[in-house]
Amino acid sequence: MSPHIRKLNRIRLAGFIGLLAFFLLAVVIVENLLVSTLVAFVISYLLNPIVNNMERNGLSRLWSTALTFLLAGLVIGVTVFLILPNFSSAILGLQKEAPNYISGFSQLIEELEAHLSELFGPLISLDLKEYAVGSLTHGSEVFFNRLPGFLKQTITVMLLGPFIAFFMVKDGRPLLRRALNIIPNHIFETALSLQHQINHQIGHFVRARLLEALIVGLVTWVGLVLVQFPFSLLLALFAAITNLIPYIGPLIGMIPALIIALVNGSSSVELFLVFSVFATAQVIDAFLLIPFFVAKIVNLHPVTVILVIIAGSQFMGVLGMIISIPLASALKVTFETLYLHLTESRI
Amino acid sequence: MNTFTWSNLFRKDSREKSVLETLSQTHIFGNLSKRELGLVMQTIHVRDYAPGENIFSQGELGIGMYIILQGKVDVFSSGPTAREETRLVTQLQSGDFFGELALVEQQGRRSATAIASTDSSLIGFFKPDLMEILERQPQTGSKIVLRLAEVLGRRLKQTSLKLSELRLEAEINAGRLKT
Repeated sequence: MSPHIRKLNRIRLAGFIGLLAFFLLAVVIVENLLVSTLVAFVISYLLNPIVNNMERNGLSRLWSTALTFLLAGLVIGVTVFLILPNFSSAILGLQKEAPNYISGFSQLIEELEAHLSELFGPLISLDLKEYAVGSLTHGSEVFFNRLPGFLKQTITVMLLGPFIAFFMVKDGRPLLRRALNIIPNHIFETALSLQHQINHQIGHFVRARLLEALIVGLVTWVGLVLVQFPFSLLLALFAAITNLIPYIGPLIGMIPALIIALVNGSSSVELFLVFSVFATAQVIDAFLLIPFFVAKIVNLHPVTVILVIIAGSQFMGVLGMIISIPLASALKVTFETLYLHLTESRI
Repeated sequence: MNTFTWSNLFRKDSREKSVLETLSQTHIFGNLSKRELGLVMQTIHVRDYAPGENIFSQGELGIGMYIILQGKVDVFSSGPTAREETRLVTQLQSGDFFGELALVEQQGRRSATAIASTDSSLIGFFKPDLMEILERQPQTGSKIVLRLAEVLGRRLKQTSLKLSELRLEAEINAGRLKT
């Protein structure tokens, strides 16, 4: 390769890396842009197949995108309109009942502490009650105080996310092609292949995980309604969201319902029924949803998954736990592809 | 300043026109309608190469084919062992295409090295692009795949013919040696 070509390649590569770094920096620095971009990616991965389907039937890209977004907006609007009264009354009810649940929970802890003291005597001195009640009171105060701010941020993200997603679906491909144009010739095929594989894998992953969360949420909701458990919608929504976190998510999703059942003094049969609802959702998830939708999309070892989730939670909390798996799988694809492209084997 | 912008715009237009013309004259895209060619235009990548610049090397992982829009490309090949000398297989020019096997192979490796011998512009058409067309317009995608199969079949026929000729030649030579 001549020095001129080498210099040109270096300039092009620096340009591409600079563009990528600028985009990442802007996303991290500008308020709400990181979450909005993540939401936009999720929306575009969800709606892209529908837009493609419309395009296959003869509609232009613009019309397919506009119609899909309109339809999705309509479906979400109607759903929100239908469940909002129920949802807001559940939130208000929970806020009103929170002190009762905290005192009930403290009583439970007190009883547990007494049992432990009976069993182990003065050997151990626990201050579980103060610790648990303190963190619960602090947690609920923080939650309800931050709720307006969180709702404001959510509204911003909910407006900005779909807006970015619309242009991602409509113009994403030509924009990406233009960005790929500045990649030097000698690594162009590798970069294109890498981009395609990552996009394909993350798209499948996002769609599968959201479908999984939706089904788990629905099963939990129906189950809790059937056993006439309070706050069924809120608890099902919580279970659906926490289900996005592999392995530990389903356990976290079960905790609020079990606390409510224990504090309400539910009988052991009622407690068993509530537990069964969550267990059924998990059995459906483990034996039907994961093998058919999720497995083999992200081929990561369970130990890697746990380590990646811990790392994600350290950096970005719950959001980090959710996005750590697709990020790790993207990194895995990158290394595998680079390894395949860089190891030249002569035929 | 204005003149520069206008001249650039026209140059871009004329380049697009020549890309469209080259695509319509390439066998793989030859039976596509104007609208279908428009979709192909949205997926392909036009790449510029300096003289002596590698397009791809033998043994490298390949993901697609190239059509020469302008310029010349030399194709070199070396034998299975590293000791064997690299030799020029063919010289390709505007309108010729190469590397199409990589469009259908799973992690296929390039069987030859392609180097631009003059300032060249190539149209790259890769597996992700073909997948995109198949996803967005399956009818257009199947037309391309059928033509691609036709080209690969023809290449296979030529190779078999060449192989038979070589075998016959070898047999004749062996017979002569015996007698």
